Formats: sequence, C-alpha cells, structure tokens
Amino acid sequence: MLSDFQVMRRLFTLIKPWWGWMLLGVVLSLLTILANIGLMALSGWFIASMAIAGITGAAINYFTPAALIRAFAIIRTSSRYAERLVTHEATFRLIASLRSWFYDHLEPLAPAVIQNYRSGDLLSRIRADIDTLDNFYLRIIAPVTVAFISSIIIVIFLWQYSQTLAFIELFFLVAAGVLLPLLINRWGYSASSRQSKITSELRSAVMDSTQGMSELLINDAAKRHSDYVEQLSEGLLKDQKSLATLNGGSQAMSGLLANLCVLLMLIIAIPMVNSEAIGPASLPMLALFTMASFEAIMPLSLAFQTLPTTLAAARRLFDIVDSKPAIIEPEIPHPLPDSADLVFNNMSLRYPSQETDALQNISVNIPTGTNIAIVGPSGSGKSSLINALMKFWPVSSGEISFGGVPIEQLDGEELRSQFAVASQHSTLFNSTIKRNLLLANRKATDSELEAVCKVAQIHDFIMELPEGYDTWIGEAGHKLSGGQMRRISIARTLLKAAPILILDEPGEGLDSITEKNMLQSIIENNKQRTLILITHHLSGLDAMDQIVRIEKGNIVSNQDD
Amino acid sequence: MSDAKDSASPEFLKAQKKTTGAYLRFSVGLGLLSGLLLIAQAWCLANIINNVIFEKATVANLSSYFVALFFVYLFRAGLNWASEYTAVEAALRVKRDLRKKLHDRLFEVGPLSLNNERSGELINTVVDGVDALENYYARYLPTMSLVALIPLSILVFIFPIDWISGVIMLVTAPLIPFFMIMIGKGTERLNKKQWRKLARMSAHFLDMIQGLTTLKLFNASRRESQLIARISDDYRKSTMSVLRVAFLSSLLLEFLSTVSIAMVAVLIGFRLMYGELDFFYGFFALLLAPEFYQPLRNMGTHYHARMEAIGAAEKMIEILHPDDVKSEDTLIKSTLIKSALVKSTLIKSALVKSTLLKDVPVNNDLASSSSSELSHSSIVENKTLGITNSIKIEFKDVSFEYEPGRPALEHLSLSIKANENIAIVGSSGAGKSTLMNLLLGFISPQQGEIVINQKPLRQDHLNEWRHNIAWMPQRAHLFQGTIRENICLANPSANDSAMKNAAKSALINEYIESLPDSYDTHIGERGAGLSGGQIQRIALARAFLKDAPLLLLDEPTAYLDQESEALIQQSLQLLSKDRCVISIAHRLNTVQQADRVVLLEKGRVVAIANHQTLMAENPLYQKMVDLFEQGDQHHA
Repeated sequence: MLSDFQVMRRLFTLIKPWWGWMLLGVVLSLLTILANIGLMALSGWFIASMAIAGITGAAINYFTPAALIRAFAIIRTSSRYAERLVTHEATFRLIASLRSWFYDHLEPLAPAVIQNYRSGDLLSRIRADIDTLDNFYLRIIAPVTVAFISSIIIVIFLWQYSQTLAFIELFFLVAAGVLLPLLINRWGYSASSRQSKITSELRSAVMDSTQGMSELLINDAAKRHSDYVEQLSEGLLKDQKSLATLNGGSQAMSGLLANLCVLLMLIIAIPMVNSEAIGPASLPMLALFTMASFEAIMPLSLAFQTLPTTLAAARRLFDIVDSKPAIIEPEIPHPLPDSADLVFNNMSLRYPSQETDALQNISVNIPTGTNIAIVGPSGSGKSSLINALMKFWPVSSGEISFGGVPIEQLDGEELRSQFAVASQHSTLFNSTIKRNLLLANRKATDSELEAVCKVAQIHDFIMELPEGYDTWIGEAGHKLSGGQMRRISIARTLLKAAPILILDEPGEGLDSITEKNMLQSIIENNKQRTLILITHHLSGLDAMDQIVRIEKGNIVSNQDD
Repeated sequence: MSDAKDSASPEFLKAQKKTTGAYLRFSVGLGLLSGLLLIAQAWCLANIINNVIFEKATVANLSSYFVALFFVYLFRAGLNWASEYTAVEAALRVKRDLRKKLHDRLFEVGPLSLNNERSGELINTVVDGVDALENYYARYLPTMSLVALIPLSILVFIFPIDWISGVIMLVTAPLIPFFMIMIGKGTERLNKKQWRKLARMSAHFLDMIQGLTTLKLFNASRRESQLIARISDDYRKSTMSVLRVAFLSSLLLEFLSTVSIAMVAVLIGFRLMYGELDFFYGFFALLLAPEFYQPLRNMGTHYHARMEAIGAAEKMIEILHPDDVKSEDTLIKSTLIKSALVKSTLIKSALVKSTLLKDVPVNNDLASSSSSELSHSSIVENKTLGITNSIKIEFKDVSFEYEPGRPALEHLSLSIKANENIAIVGSSGAGKSTLMNLLLGFISPQQGEIVINQKPLRQDHLNEWRHNIAWMPQRAHLFQGTIRENICLANPSANDSAMKNAAKSALINEYIESLPDSYDTHIGERGAGLSGGQIQRIALARAFLKDAPLLLLDEPTAYLDQESEALIQQSLQLLSKDRCVISIAHRLNTVQQADRVVLLEKGRVVAIANHQTLMAENPLYQKMVDLFEQGDQHHA
C-alpha cells in the first residue's frame, strides 16, 4: 500500500504538465488577497494621517496613497476575475489529462485485470474517484500554497514593526488555519465515516423498497420496512447534524481567533504608539491589516477536509493502474503470417483464483476457411477459449499457433486484427447505431452497413426506427431489447474484415426462427473465412465441418462431418 | 424543459419552508443579532483607536472598551454558531420530511408503476437528492433574508454620522443583485447546458471503460484514448467560454464592493483633512464598509446552492406530483397512475394510511388475534372479509385497462372453488399478469368486482386479503439482512423451529446450515452470493412459513436450471396441498397438475377446462402446449 506521501508525490507528477497554468492561478489568487489587505491597511493609515494632518495643519502628500488605494481596488477586482478563469482553465486541463492518463493505463489491463471491476458499482466508484481528483488543484494545492506564501508575506510585513506582533499574527494564523481544522477533522472523524456507511445502507434499503415492493406489500412488511428506512434516515441526519454543529463551531471559532488576534495586537501596539516607537497612523493600519489578513487562511479548513478523501481516491486509482497486465507482449513481435490456420496444441488455461483448469489439454486443428462449432453447456470453458485466443489471458501450458507461429510471439493488437469476434459480453456504446457499426470498419459504406445488418436480421427493424441508422442507442437514447442489441453487435462483427469470424452464442435472446435464419445467412455469406461458432445447443450445425464438444474444460468429442 | 416546470421547482422548495418550523426564522434572527453586534464592535474599536491617536490614551485608560470588545467577540462567535446550528436543524427537518414523503410515495404508486430501469434514479433522488437540499435551506435562504437586513441596519448608523459614505453604499448595493440577476439569467441556461455536457462527458468516459474489451476486440481502444482527450478538451473550451461570461457577475460584485470601499476611504480621508468630519466617525464608517458588502458576497457564494436544489426538486416533483409534470419522461410516469390508480383514490388512502403511516387497528388485530374474533366484532364487520381458512374467489365481469382504449382484461367472469388448483395460460399480452395483479391488489377492477367468500374485495380489505396470500414471482427479491429475516418477512415473530421447518419444506435447510453463520448469514444486494435456485427456495420457505390459504404462483421456476426446478416443483407440491392455488403457467408440468386451466387470449377467457379436455378440443391450447414442450426441451 502506498503511503500518503508517495500518493502525493505521484499526484504531483501527474499534474506537473500544467504547472504553468497552476502557478499563474496561485499568483493571481495571491494578488487578490494581498490587494485586499493592502486596500484595507492603507485606507486605515490614510484616513488617520489625513485626520492628523487636518488637525496639525501639516502638509501631506495625499496623491500617492489615494491613488494606491484605488489601484489596490482595481487590482483586487481584476485579479479575482482572472484568478477564477485561470484556476478553472487549469482544472479542466487537469481533468482532461487525468482521464486520458487513467484510460491509457487501464487499456493494457483489459480485460483480464478489470474483470474484477466489472460491476457497475465499482465502475462508478472509479468515476467518482476521478471526479474527486479533479479538485486536487482547486481545493487543495492552490489554497494551501496561497495561504503559505501570503502568511509569510504577512508575517514579514509585521516584523518591520515588531517581532512580537509578527509572532502573534503567526500564532493565530496557524491556530485558525491549521490547528483548528485538524482538531475538527479528528472530532468529526467517527461521524463522517459513519455517515458514508449509513448512506450506503440507506441506498440499499431504498433499493429494496423499489425492487422488492411487491413482496413487502404481500407480506405485510411495508410498514416495517418503511420504519427501517426512516430509522436509517434518522441516523444519517443525526450524524449530519453533529458534523454541521462541529463545522459551525469551527467557523465561529476561526472568526473569534481572528478577532482576538486584533485585540491582542492593539494591546501590544498601543504602548508602542504611546512611546512613539511607531507613528499613530500605524495603529488603525495594523488593526485593519490584521483583520484582512485572515482571508488568506479561510479556505484551509476545506482543504483539510478534502485531503483524506482525495488521497483515498488517488490511492484506489493507483492500485488499479499499478496492476500488472496479464500478458506481456513480445519485444520484437514476429510478423503476421500469411496463413490463418489455427492450431490448439494440448493447451490448458487456469485463472489465478481458481483451483481447476478452465480449459484442459485442448487440441484442435482449424484450417483456414473451415466452419467449426464448439458446443457445450454454459460454464464449460467456451469463453475462456476466446480469452486465450485473443491473448487476453496467458495459457498455462501447451500452445496456440496462428499461421504456424505461436501466438506469444505475435503482437496482441496485430493478432486481434485477424479476428472478428462477437463475444457474449460485447457492448454497444452510447452513440448512434451507425457509429457503433463503424467501430469495426471506419471506412465502411452505407450499403456495406446495410448488407451486414441484413445478414444479422436487424436491417428491417432499424429501418422502422424514425431515425434509422442514426438512431441514438443506449442509456441516453432508444432502448433496445437484448435480442436487438445482440444482432447489432453481430452485424458489427460481420463488418470487420478479418480472416476468422468467431460468434459466441449468437442466438442468445433471439427466437428460434430468427436465430435459424441468421445463422443460415451468416454461413451463406461467409464463404472464404474461418467460422468458429460457439453455442450450447445443437440446431443449425449441419453446415459445420467440425463439431467439438467441450464439457468442464475438456474436449469430450471431436467429429468431422 | 417547459417554463411551467421551471417555476414549479422554486415553488416546491418554498412550500417546504413550513416544515422548518421556527428554526429558519430563529436562525435569521440570530444572524441579524450578530450583525447588529458588529456595529457595536466597530464602535468599540473606533473608540479605542481614536482615543489612542488623539487623546494619547493608554491600554489601562481603555480597559473598559477592551473588556466590552472581548465580550462582543465572544458573544458574536456564540451567535454565529447558534445561527448555523439552527439553520442546519431547519434544513434537516425538511430533509427528514421529504425523504419520508418520497419513500411513502413510492409505496403509494405501487409496484406496477415503478419502472425498473429508473429504479437507480429513484434511489438517487430519495438518498442524494434530498441531501442536496441542505445548502438551500441552511445557507441560501438565511443568506437571502440577511442580505437586506444587515446592510440596512448598518446604513441606519452610517447615515446620521457620514451621509456621503451612506449614499455611496446605498447606491452601489442594489446594483449588485441587479447586475447579478441580469448576468445570472443569461448564464443560467448556458450553465445548465454545461452541466449536462459534463454529465455526458462523464458518462462517455464510463461507457468507454465498460466497453474496453469490445474496443480492444476491434483494435479501437487506443484510438478512443485520443477521443477521450479530445472530448475533454472540447468541453474545456466550451465551458471556459461560458465561464468568461458567468464570472462577470463575480467581477461586478468584486468591483462594486471593493471600489466603493476605496471611494469611502478616499472621500473620508479628504473630509478629515478639511476638518469636515471627526476621525472617530470616519474610522467607524470605514470599519463597517466591508461588513456592509459581506452579506452580498455571501449571496454570490450560496447562489449555486439554489441551482442544485432546483435540480433535485425537479426530480422530487416528478415523483410526488407526476400530474404536474408535462414532460415526456418522468420518473414515475405511467398511464397507470393517471387512469387506474388515481381514479380509485381509495388506493392512495388505503395503502398509505393503513399500510404505512400508522398501524390501523385492523392491522394489529390481524397480526395478534385469531380471525374468529374479527368476525364477532360488529365495528369491524364491514371492514373484514372474514376469511377463515378456505377461500372462494369470484371474478364478476371484471374489466381493466392500463390505457384508455387498450383493455388488458375484458368482462372476465370466473369462479374458483375452495382448495382448487387453477392454471392460467395465454400468450404474452393475454392478460395473465393483469389477472394476477388484480388478485394481489396492486390494481383494482375498473368495472365489475372480485368477490371473496361472498364479500366484494375492497381497498380497505387489502391488508387482511394480502394476509391470506402467499406469492411466488418468477424472480423473488431477497432483502438486505439475514436469511432468517428474509424467511420471516411476513412473520417477524416466528419462532426458530417454525422457521427451520419452513426452510426444510423448501429443501434449502441443508444449504443454509452448511453456511458458517447458518440462518444468520447476511445476504448481499439482491441476494448476491446466492444462485437463482437458492433465492427462489428461500422465497419458498417464506411462503411455507406464511402458511396462507391462497397460493399465487407466477411460474417461479421460469429462470432456473433443471435441477433447481425439480427441487422447487417437489416443494411446491407439498405447499399446494389443501390450498387454493392460482398459477400463471409456462410449463407443461404446471398445467397437468391443475384442476382447471383458464385459457386467456387478448384479455378474454377463451376456455376453461382441465388439461385433457382442452388438449382434445382446443387448437389454440394445443399450440400453446406445443410451445411449452419446445421450451422445456430447449431448456434441457
């Protein structure tokens, strides 16, 4: 497990490319704060000096301070605007690079490593984690840097007047900006960790309400369940309340600390004025300076609150990114052979967490252009065959050769370019039907698209949609049935120009007539390329050259037709 | 998005204010008091500094001011804390109330109206959506009340002593909200668009990750990496162009407040030099100038809380008042609500008031006493069906349609004898589920009536009626909690041996007892860790334990493998003994065991007879059974 420090260091490396923007944001934010302190302090000094000059009749250069006051106001205004633009620019650039970074690191791990993260919950956690990282600069780095630098400037300025004043200011800045937030975080720790636990319990309970409502009503349990939900909600509110009480106390306390600092400064500075160690006009200046200076440390409490969640999010992401890919690609890959003959030679495959082989001693010969059916009940290891063939998983023993070359010696991406695969887990993306199809062949013409959709028995359905091939599908668009999605994904596979076609349970979700028509049409249109048909039932196998039965990872029969 | 909807959310939010009781006003009062003390604080401070500069006063001379200042500081800190505390309490009250209302509302609209795909969104609204309201009630509303009160109180003090500063403040202050609203109006729409874009970008990213394997199969995964970078970059550019305008409101706020303070300072300075103003008053005014603008700044900070709350409220309105929403895709939008459920307003009151809000006496009686007692009581006479242990059900000319003009069941008349085993057969859309839903009380007949033991089934009988039903759906739902809790769903007080007997009858006892925690094993979400067959058998144990006289089955083995199916069929035979059984049939086995088979077609009864007779006489039935056989084979 990475230490907090290591996580921070890696985060810094990640955001480094945007240091220019981030630095500019910090500088502007610093200017905004200092201009305000300058405005208030100078105003105090100015009106006191003017009043003294009015009474004593002494001459005073009022042009410079009056102009400076206006200048501070203008600087404050414009740098605030520029700061907001620049920090947001920096954040958006960060978002873009973080996403690309994560994706680029995840890509080589797919699908072997991310299979563990298949469930939607984990995926949305990844998404939430990346969103959390987006705030790293805006909520943590920028305010902490600004608070640090401006505190130094503030303390140095006071040092000119008196070391005591400088120390008092430093003490109160640290107390309000660092100690108080740390203390509040510690006190709120149990409530805030309980809060996230209860929230997820509440979520499951409400899910039970929506999905199990019939059962609750029939079994006279609705009231009981509602009481349970109410009880969870009450527990959540209780924790939220204690956290809010704590935060309210923290805010009030930090205001009080700033005020006490002013009070103490006055008590120290007044004797200095009395003894004429400092000019009388410095007194209102110091008071207003101190009041305004606390703006610098205000955002620190939020930074302290966000830091642990940000680090936790970053750690989870680094954990994923750091996982070793299941397959190491050869350094100098063998060039792609001309032939597409496939030979499985006594090949076995076992997943790391499993006790038995998913595939055991598989030997099959699939010459180019032949049709082969691999038949067996679900769970017999048919999908593992694809995993091995695609170089998604390494084989444990034996070998697979493509065109006479063991696939370990081939580059994975080049190897996969030789296969068109419709796996059971093929996804359609939130996009139009057309763009989903084009994934397989970006240069395909409309008539080519229609041709494969006709083969997959889905063309007529698409034409019935108001927007035809431009219909947007997925969560944001048209809901398709499982069978319709299946057929589109098969059409997409057919579109890919590759010498070997693999269809994994193509009939899933289809009625038997459609399935039969589709298979017939696929076989008719598939004259030259190898067809590997993976299925659990025996219909439509007449056209096969070879039928291999697999059960529990073993070949139980292999018959040539 | 229609304008009507745009104004509905703010109104909805305002309507919830009454839930806060006095807390919101209390919080504003405390905030105002703290604001007034600010003036006292400035007065003390101005006095101290004035006396030091012009009267050569020492700390000792000024001790009373220092003590006063110290207590004002302390008191203000206390007030600020109390104001925050009460504001949060106000928000929590709204949250508590709304969450309960939303959750109750789910039960009110009933299981048929809950669109499964949207269930995630419903959960989000009930859990996170409600939480998103906190800042609106705890921050935005108090700030909006103080935004006028505190500056006005400050002006009351400034005007008599320094009218010029007063005028500067008075003129600039209203400009801030004015311009903010002007700019805000223009950018609000753009802002919303940007948020949607962000959500879409996020969704796209998730989509890519989910489909990474597919992308890899098409060698498109690296290409997509560039696409992700490009989309994020496009988003940055378009957002920044919106923000350049949106941030103008903060520029303006900053400009007006900062430049006004500078003007106040400079003008005071000159009047001090000319002797037109006393330093004490000048300094007092300068101290109050930033405080004058502070509430306006706060308004800018908390403005987004309003946007967020409005977004959350839109979803709540869709759940609580679906009729008010004209939009096509509401959360619980179902013609069901409009036609059937809302029409029979009874269901609202019956379900919510009796099942949820309070324990009505009938409910308690049922749970605690024997049913014979019930029939004696004259008060509850009309409210009960008086079911003892045999049930006769009669459908008298029952019709139901989910949408006007599209009948789901038409003129159904059917009488079911005590302890009869009835199978319902028909192609999809024939009305099988509607019939089942009528029996379950999820919908009520729009025409005709259902008569139970000579008494018409009414909404206020639902509790008692459901008490007499055991139901097995195709996919039973298991709840978060232990296996024990799941088996005892209908009988939470059942004793250990009764529960174990039920598990034994459902042939699941051995499996449960092999688990380390046995019956106290926790079940994950949707029964995670259990196979479909095990889930169904736990649900079956639930039915055994409930021991109800009527058993409703919706082909509970539809999604199971052969082995599990055999086990469940075996238990079901045991459970069906001496009970009235009504089942929706998809399997040959089920129809063969039935005393009578009801064949439905397009909402109408085509034939009622036993399996053999129908096989001999009805071609439609023969075709159906043929399909069953094929299905059974396919299944094998």
